[in-house]
Amino acid sequence: MLKEEFRTHSSYSGKQRFLTFPLFVLILSFFSGLTLERMTVQVPLEQMGVFANLSSFLYGLSVGAFGVMGREYLERRHGASNYLVAMPYLLPLSFRTTFIGIYLRDAVFYILLMLAPATIGLALAAPIAGFHLTSIGLLFIAVLLSFMFGLSLSFMASVVYIRNVPAFLGITAAIAALFVTHSFFGVPALDVMVPSLGFQMNVRPFGDDYGTALLYAAAVAVATTVFTLLAFVLVQVRINIASRMHEDLLPRIYGHVGFMKGLNRTLIAKEFLDLRRSGTIAKMFFSFVLPLLFLSFTTWYVNYGLAIPVGFNAVFYAAMVGFVGVMMYSWLNNVDLAEYYSLLPVTVPQLIKIRILVFLFLTLGISTFFVVAISILNGETELLWLALIVMFITSLYTVVMTAYLTGLKTNTFLFDTSVLMRFSVLSFFPDLCLTILSFSLLADWVIAVAGIALVLVMLSVATVLFFRGIDMKWDRTPFAA
Amino acid sequence: MAVIEGRDLVKDYGGMKALDRVSITVNEGDFFGFFGPNGAGKTTLIRILTGQLEPSSGSATVMGVDVVKEPMRVKELIGIVPEVESPPTYLTAYEYLYFVGKVRKLDKLEDRIDKWLSFFDLLEKKGTICKDMSKGMRQKVMLASAFIHEPKMLFLDEPFINLDPIYQRQLREYLEGFVEKGGTVFMASHILEISERLCNRLAIVNLGKVVAEGRIEDLLREGENLERLFLRSVGLKAIGGDPTRKTS
Repeated sequence: MLKEEFRTHSSYSGKQRFLTFPLFVLILSFFSGLTLERMTVQVPLEQMGVFANLSSFLYGLSVGAFGVMGREYLERRHGASNYLVAMPYLLPLSFRTTFIGIYLRDAVFYILLMLAPATIGLALAAPIAGFHLTSIGLLFIAVLLSFMFGLSLSFMASVVYIRNVPAFLGITAAIAALFVTHSFFGVPALDVMVPSLGFQMNVRPFGDDYGTALLYAAAVAVATTVFTLLAFVLVQVRINIASRMHEDLLPRIYGHVGFMKGLNRTLIAKEFLDLRRSGTIAKMFFSFVLPLLFLSFTTWYVNYGLAIPVGFNAVFYAAMVGFVGVMMYSWLNNVDLAEYYSLLPVTVPQLIKIRILVFLFLTLGISTFFVVAISILNGETELLWLALIVMFITSLYTVVMTAYLTGLKTNTFLFDTSVLMRFSVLSFFPDLCLTILSFSLLADWVIAVAGIALVLVMLSVATVLFFRGIDMKWDRTPFAA
Repeated sequence: MAVIEGRDLVKDYGGMKALDRVSITVNEGDFFGFFGPNGAGKTTLIRILTGQLEPSSGSATVMGVDVVKEPMRVKELIGIVPEVESPPTYLTAYEYLYFVGKVRKLDKLEDRIDKWLSFFDLLEKKGTICKDMSKGMRQKVMLASAFIHEPKMLFLDEPFINLDPIYQRQLREYLEGFVEKGGTVFMASHILEISERLCNRLAIVNLGKVVAEGRIEDLLREGENLERLFLRSVGLKAIGGDPTRKTS
């Protein structure tokens, strides 16, 4: 299964290019290690530890969602590929065994892809930067526990989603409620919700209470095991899922999108129907809203929980919201295969542009809600107009730039190091400029707004250029591999 | 009049030549069979001729249109049934035909949809989305979607696969009528018995090269059938049975 996963990823961009991804992570981590001391002037080491663990937890959450995808692997043909996950159809192998196999495969694969190279990078930097190797080892254990905790929680939640959507919504609401309660009242503590944080904060370089650390480690190990066992027990063993009858909705949806004309009208109607029938809207909502909730919480927590005067304001938040949107575009490209388009007079750029439009329809409402909400929560309604413009332009720029770089295979191309490098540079620099300028809003309003306006103009020009470039870059690309 | 002309077509997949200087001519009204062992390059040639894939070198025109320069125009003119039946996962048969009809800007769309849903007996399964269909049903949906705009030329890659004998016969009769009315069919198939009944001209490809091409009666030796011709052309001996027996 590991070999299959590796070959799937490397088949698109080539083995060497794919293998440079963990190398890229290692180098990035190495240089982060070297500059750690300087960075601690701005952000305390303790906060970095918290962010490393929470990021790893979120990483696990996103990887573990395959519980939802698992059924689709079985139900949907992947072009000409067959995967081992379909083996229960063909071999005397139980579905549960296969499913737990996928769970372990994903855990090992993504640890090797990200966590291991990041740790090695830090370890290589240790002799130069002067931090202890034991600290690196303990950090690795902590982020590994965070990752597995997130992975098992997401795995369990996604299995519940397949069985019972209201129960899944209940679990999601309960988790969200815990974080919201923590935001407002400080309880439950973060290390209670993500116990691996407790482990991290009690071992070097943050503390030396190894007894307490072991208790936290045991707690997270037990929770991870319980979530995994629950998922194992609850996973839907019935492979042949009864087919449902559906009303022919396409003509009606086609009628509703009369504001579009010609081919675009047909394509967008089908995209909306696909989203509805596949249940992807719920998954997209989850994968978009969760990071936004996390971002909202972080913004609020840094401002009020930690009272760190770094100036996280609504404009900074709006820029972040814009850049988070890339995940939604990626989802749109995973709803269904596109091979049948190659039989019709439709081009890849036409479909890419329609998906950009669908992305805007789906995200702008939610993004606007979050930006308005954070402006009100932060008492910054005077910044709302600027925040909304920033959110709109960065959202559009991010999705068009991502579409230009990755076409209809976003997930795949973002594992291609050359594409990832370009994506990182094209995301990071505008994001950095907007972050710095948003921090300057309180100090020098006029200069900050002028600077933000300049960045937004540049992003708008880049958006137009990328949008036009989509035709040139993807016109000759076949739908089928 | 030649409606398909391929000249020196090469397709190189990273050092592996799927097609090696293939030249092919198909005339209007031909029922052209394209045969070869697995991996010989049949699907690659069909994908190139239908504008789905660019050749590494060489040129081709279909109905006078350059397939490399104007692939969209080629797709407007022809109907394609791919090797793997892959209709959209979440659409019903009706919806997929509606979608294809709108993309192709067809008039009298409801009438056309009714005609093809009836022809392939898909009306009873109205409301079933493609992922819940059997392979045979999905194949019928793909066939209907290729026929709905009534093109003058059809490219069919294993069209009979997954169909039961009733629909194999129905499809065969439809294709015979289609050619009688002046249509042209380019078909790749491993079902040689049906192909021999239908095709008037053929090409056999092996390891990316055309090893035989022409009118079937000119290529068959005395007492030989298509299976025997195929095996002789690709350099294999018949295994078992009576290879000289010609199917009726």
